[in-house]
Amino acid sequence: MKNSFLLLLFALLFLFPCAVEAQQDAPASSCIGCHSGMQGRLGEPVEQWQGSIHQENGISCSSCHGGDPTLFTMEAMSPEKGFLGVPSNEEIPEFCGSCHVGVLEDYIKSAHGQALGEGGPQCVICHGNHSVKTATLELINQESCTQCHEYGRAGEIKEALAETDQIILNLEDDIQTLHRIGIATDEMKGKIFSIRNQFHRLFHTVDVQKVRNETEDFQLRLQEVRTQVEEVRSELTDRKVIGAAATALLLLAAVLGWILRRTYKKDEEQGRVRKTKEQVR
Amino acid sequence: MAINKKIIDYIDLRLGIRDLLQKNLTEYLLPRNINIWYSLGAATIALFAVQFITGIFLLIYYIPNTEQAFASVQAIMNEIPYGWLIRYLHAIGANVVVLVLLLHMLSALFMSAYKRPREFTWLFGFLIFMVTLGMCLTGYLLPWSQLSYWATTVATDTMNAVPLIGEPLLQVLRGGSAVGQYTLGRFFALHVMGLPLIFGLLVSAHLFCVRRIGVSRPPFGPDYRPWEPNDEFQHEEYPDGIPFFPNYTAEEVAVIAFFLALTTGITYFAPWIFLPSDAFTPADPFVTPEHIKPEWYFLASYQILKVFPNEFFGILVQGVIITFLLFLPWIDRTHERRPAKRPIFVALFVLGVVGFVGLTIWGHFS
Repeated sequence: MKNSFLLLLFALLFLFPCAVEAQQDAPASSCIGCHSGMQGRLGEPVEQWQGSIHQENGISCSSCHGGDPTLFTMEAMSPEKGFLGVPSNEEIPEFCGSCHVGVLEDYIKSAHGQALGEGGPQCVICHGNHSVKTATLELINQESCTQCHEYGRAGEIKEALAETDQIILNLEDDIQTLHRIGIATDEMKGKIFSIRNQFHRLFHTVDVQKVRNETEDFQLRLQEVRTQVEEVRSELTDRKVIGAAATALLLLAAVLGWILRRTYKKDEEQGRVRKTKEQVR
Repeated sequence: MAINKKIIDYIDLRLGIRDLLQKNLTEYLLPRNINIWYSLGAATIALFAVQFITGIFLLIYYIPNTEQAFASVQAIMNEIPYGWLIRYLHAIGANVVVLVLLLHMLSALFMSAYKRPREFTWLFGFLIFMVTLGMCLTGYLLPWSQLSYWATTVATDTMNAVPLIGEPLLQVLRGGSAVGQYTLGRFFALHVMGLPLIFGLLVSAHLFCVRRIGVSRPPFGPDYRPWEPNDEFQHEEYPDGIPFFPNYTAEEVAVIAFFLALTTGITYFAPWIFLPSDAFTPADPFVTPEHIKPEWYFLASYQILKVFPNEFFGILVQGVIITFLLFLPWIDRTHERRPAKRPIFVALFVLGVVGFVGLTIWGHFS
């Protein structure tokens, strides 16, 4: 008993230093910590950001607004800590473009970008701000576009983008299905991510002819990914054929075993009846 | 053929293999009215053998390090020939083994096979079940996926509810305040060495008890009579019984093949049943997934903890249930085993099963 106690004590002493060494503190964001408890315009952004594409990808407040999210004092929002605050309308494209570099480049050259500051739209007019979702073709619609101009050209661009966009969506679904069963899809996902971003960047030129000219190249690159997906699918079909055979063989073994047991049971029953008859005689 | 016979004769002369097989197979007689539920023990052993073999293969490529664990499992799934099959058989087999073990225990419970003189058989069997759950819990963390990380975080968090020693206990279990490298190290050691060692000893003890006392007679049929108290050890024999081999072995083969078919069927056609999406995303301590649920066999326990306003009461209730079941043979001491003559017991049994299934479904949808 004493020995067991000593052994337990030794085990705990052995484990405790590791426990102390291994203590980790998860870094917390002071932006979310403070603003989530606030009301109105100071608190709303946190709620809107939850579930956004930025939140999904780990892009937090300081990624855009600057500051130091590890400080829990007002100093976190000081210019010395790189705090940028809320950008003006004219500053928004630069703000978003600090990450979306390519899109900014095309936007600046486009009619939209050229009209910035003179009533031209900037990023959040179409994409929203804190609750920003994955960009889809639905963003191009009569209601939004006709707020500034006629829908005609926007509609043409949407049509030119639609087929390729659908190919991208289908591939994303198929890749997600493969991911769901443990296939390594990072490479395929990466390719689609890159193609998708470059393709969506095209829209920001607001140039129908450019979209039409470059669509073929995008579709060829998407075909390469499609080939990869089909190769994996073909292997999965082969696996299923083998799986069906293995499962069927095991089920057959189960049925044969069961039939054999029934046969033995009949023999056992007959033997029992015979024995009873002999005892009666 | 002649060489084969010579080799067998050589071994038989030294170890008496033929005699051993004869006594344990053809001359080993089982009750005449033995039913299919008795074959679940053999099915459990067969399924554990699959776990053991696939586990060794996984051990070759798995790296128990938070930086590399997920990548090593991805490599097993995508780069190692048939690695995906080994991993799926291991992960899905674990679920099937728990299912079969549960059925085995429920059948023993319903037929009151735990009663005197088989108290130790039940005790070791129950401990095997607990160790199996321990192996499942520790194995769950090893792939270091989002599912592993957060399910383990939630499961180990319940330790905090234990008064006084809760926090130090949690620290020892996790090796720190949060689930991390030290937790992975601990769980890995327990999963591949500590728990299997205890499991092996418990299975040996359980099988020893089964063989030493003899298989219990199913409490059904007109010939069944309750056991008469005896002060001396007595091996229960069935001179008019059926041979274990080949008569009952055929039934065991059928049941084992059925459960292996179930395992391969799920492995090849529906692995997602037991592996949700988060199982394929690397662990990220800073991103909490929306819906983290434990495995199906822990859902009832998870729901009990949620139902009680105080987590401590949830743990206490479960502790009481486990202790009650563990020592049931010493609590329920009547000699009657026939379910038809034990209406209160049967009612409690049904209530328990319905409660477990109900809480599991509730836990799944809550």
